Amino acid sequence: MLKYVIRRLVMLIGIIFVISVGSFYLIHLLPGDPAAVILGTGDSPSNRAKLYKLLGLNKSIFDQYFIWIRNVVRGNLGISFISQTSVASTIRAALPIDLEIMGLSQIVAFAVAIPLAMRSARKPDGLVDRLLGATSFTLLSIPPFIIIVLLVLFISIKMGVPNIGVASYVSFGTDWIVNLESLALPAFTLAIGSFVVYYRVLRSDMIATLQEEFITMARSKGISQRRIMWRHAFRPSSVALLGAAGVNIGGLLAGGFVVQYLLAIPGLGYTLIAAINDSDYLLVQGIVLVVSVGVVLINFFFDFVINIVDPRISRE
Amino acid sequence: MSEFIQETEMAQEALLEASMVERPEKNQPLGPMFWICVGWLALNIIGAIFANVLPVQNPLNQDYNFINSGPSLHHIFGTDDLGRDIFARIVYGSRVSIAVGAGSMLIGFGIGAPLGMLAAYRRGRFDTFVTTVMYVFLAFPAIIAVIAVLSFWTPRSMFKIIVVIGFASVPLVYRVIRTATLAIATKDYVIAAKVQGATDRRILMKELLPNIAPIGISFLLIGVATVVTLEGALAFLGLSVNPPTPSWGNMINESRTILAENPWLVLFPSLALCLFLLCLNFIGDRVRSHFDVTEVKL
Amino acid sequence: MNPDKLLVVKDLATTFNTSAGPLPAVGGVSFDLNKNETLGIVGESGSGKTVLARTIMGLQPRTNVAVTGSVLLNGHEMVGVSEAEKRKYWGTEVAMVFQDPMTSLNPVMRIGKQIDETLRVRLGMSKDAAKARAIELLELVGIPSPTQRYGAFPGQLSGGMRQRVVIATALACSPKLLMADEPTTGLDVTIQAQILNLLEDLKEQFHMSVVLITHDLGVVATRTSRIVVMYAGRVVEIGTTREVFTNHRMPYTRALLESSPKVSNPSHTRLVTIPGRPPNLLKLSLGCSFAPRCAYATNQCHQQRPELQSAEEPGHSFACWNPLPSKREAATR
Repeated sequence: MLKYVIRRLVMLIGIIFVISVGSFYLIHLLPGDPAAVILGTGDSPSNRAKLYKLLGLNKSIFDQYFIWIRNVVRGNLGISFISQTSVASTIRAALPIDLEIMGLSQIVAFAVAIPLAMRSARKPDGLVDRLLGATSFTLLSIPPFIIIVLLVLFISIKMGVPNIGVASYVSFGTDWIVNLESLALPAFTLAIGSFVVYYRVLRSDMIATLQEEFITMARSKGISQRRIMWRHAFRPSSVALLGAAGVNIGGLLAGGFVVQYLLAIPGLGYTLIAAINDSDYLLVQGIVLVVSVGVVLINFFFDFVINIVDPRISRE
Repeated sequence: MSEFIQETEMAQEALLEASMVERPEKNQPLGPMFWICVGWLALNIIGAIFANVLPVQNPLNQDYNFINSGPSLHHIFGTDDLGRDIFARIVYGSRVSIAVGAGSMLIGFGIGAPLGMLAAYRRGRFDTFVTTVMYVFLAFPAIIAVIAVLSFWTPRSMFKIIVVIGFASVPLVYRVIRTATLAIATKDYVIAAKVQGATDRRILMKELLPNIAPIGISFLLIGVATVVTLEGALAFLGLSVNPPTPSWGNMINESRTILAENPWLVLFPSLALCLFLLCLNFIGDRVRSHFDVTEVKL
Repeated sequence: MNPDKLLVVKDLATTFNTSAGPLPAVGGVSFDLNKNETLGIVGESGSGKTVLARTIMGLQPRTNVAVTGSVLLNGHEMVGVSEAEKRKYWGTEVAMVFQDPMTSLNPVMRIGKQIDETLRVRLGMSKDAAKARAIELLELVGIPSPTQRYGAFPGQLSGGMRQRVVIATALACSPKLLMADEPTTGLDVTIQAQILNLLEDLKEQFHMSVVLITHDLGVVATRTSRIVVMYAGRVVEIGTTREVFTNHRMPYTRALLESSPKVSNPSHTRLVTIPGRPPNLLKLSLGCSFAPRCAYATNQCHQQRPELQSAEEPGHSFACWNPLPSKREAATR
């Protein structure tokens, strides 16, 4: 077990290193001159040269990278040229919002998906199962941005419910009711996508597990159906569910920003888009790094949990 | 015990074995729903290709008599805030979705699939090297890269969009195809073919390809669906094709500002997009389950 | 109801509803079982013996299966009753030992817990009492260092050990009837004898009856008092072990006995086989199912299915129109 953890940790560090290089060079590969953006109207060759020297942009790419990395490790992601605020603080302000949305959406998704999947697995091809199957399939085909637009249309505009629509975000500390209201829509939208994935994965895996011989043996011991579902069938099946959760949540962190952008909720996604539009490359770099590392950490975490649930994996 | 007794009718044995266990899922026949979806997709594709010659209005034409109007005899799906016929824009808009979907998947599969199959089959240094590279790319959130590149690589064109998304999808295609090939290449019948002296090319064509095809096709279709969705999302960020070129994503995005006045502008393109995606997903799913020989008939 | 009879099976039939049509896996089986008796059910793969065992216990799949007839377990009817009804007797009156211990134990649950579960859920024991009893049971089935092994996962044990755990689990609530479905088929030959001996000992200790299902005649020869021979889902011969081995009447039984290789045969003796193949249950003929492969088949055999008829010795029956001559008759002449 320990060997397994160590091995994975080494891989983790390696991947993070590569990602840091990647995020750094990606930005620099892109066309667009940060100096030109900063100087704006004061742009001139001599001014540019001065700015370059000031910002350290005249050094070689390798030097720039190492300076940047050294700072990153110390927690200093730089000061954005555009906004003149520390990148780290911008990210620190935006990140909790993403986490809250993700947290809410996953709670809802799991709370609904798990019982429904168990119900369907118990009576496959029954009425409930087929209904849920068709519903989840349809939901799968509706992209989140459409869901958001339609929901905004109906709930905010047609029904006039306050605090649901665009730019309504308020932090938890300020007013937790409005906070939850404002995040309800994005959380719900993301929950739908997650629900569909979790429901299908768990249902399919449980149906397979329920066909195993040890389930028949458990039956023969006189164990109730409910106990068999939860104690015997769910545990092996949860491996697949956790795997799906890892991938899904990783994707949410990176991809949930369309939803944020639409509703002008100042999470990381929104901030990233704005940063790209402003050519604020230091901020973009910082966000990309944080998000990528976040995704990798999430995957690592889920791998670890899966290993606890099903120890067979680490023994191989 | 008699050797013979071991040698029972395979089908009966399997049937009996399977029947001792609950297997309610039947091996899916393709079904009428499948063909309906194929038909709908075909309709969309034909509409996209032949839009010029079909009795559809000019999508750029601004009809000032009918601004933000609902469905009527003149405009079946109504008009947008510039008086342009929504139906026409949907038909022409399908070109973008289909081109982007098909184009990027062509690139993704064209590069990723052969590499994946080759790597899984050959193993060795080639495999280790390419797979490591691909996995590094995979660790990086592709969507962010796509957005960043498309934001800076101006002026935008459909070609650029297809190229960017296409290349971004290569690592994922590579991984899926490689995993699928690995599962098959280690099976006994492939090793048997090798031992019998079949050339690599023959094995690839005769043994591996037919078994990978169902998964590949299924993933391809789902990939197209994902890409089409991505185009929609990009449109919301202003990163899809430039207006006034119609695309489904653009139209839905434009509708955001006038949601209250003109719900038609959001409803019809959304419907078009969702139906398209539904059909793709359905076909992809059916293909996969139809060819999945591990499911037993009961 | 004869109080000595633990199990009375009457006209039990199990039909599966498959996409290829109805599959009569078990057709019209009747027999009974006394207390403290060991009954062997013998047949090839596909003869329906596993389906029979599961149906008797009531463990058949819940969907697409039709069961007719009657199974009286200690006077309780098991056919046509709800799952909840049947569950009352599972574990406490009847238990099953399955063929493959790797798949019949939950791979992600510690073995101790799997035994505990029965004790706590069915007998209402406390956690500590259950654990103590579980360790006792592990010791009883011959697992060394039971206290340490209590927390092991199935994957950490050898095949023989796992099967012992399965047996311990089955016996936890002291059932009166133990159904052992090919309990040693998946194990090494050297372990097989150990497990079978263990079953015999436990049978004495717990005062149980055992139904031993196997395709291996060597196993039933010395360990059963009576034998049921099955073919294509039906009983073709039933009687005391001795009678079936020495005075069988149905040609299939003879073929079965002759085809098992004997250690005493000189080396390179050709294996005797039964020509042809077992029938397709989906397309059973109207006549005797064995007729196409039988050396003694007559026209009647092909056209009409024989019913069980009694032989001389009480309790011995066979189903054949053209049976082998009885050795008893020959001896008395």
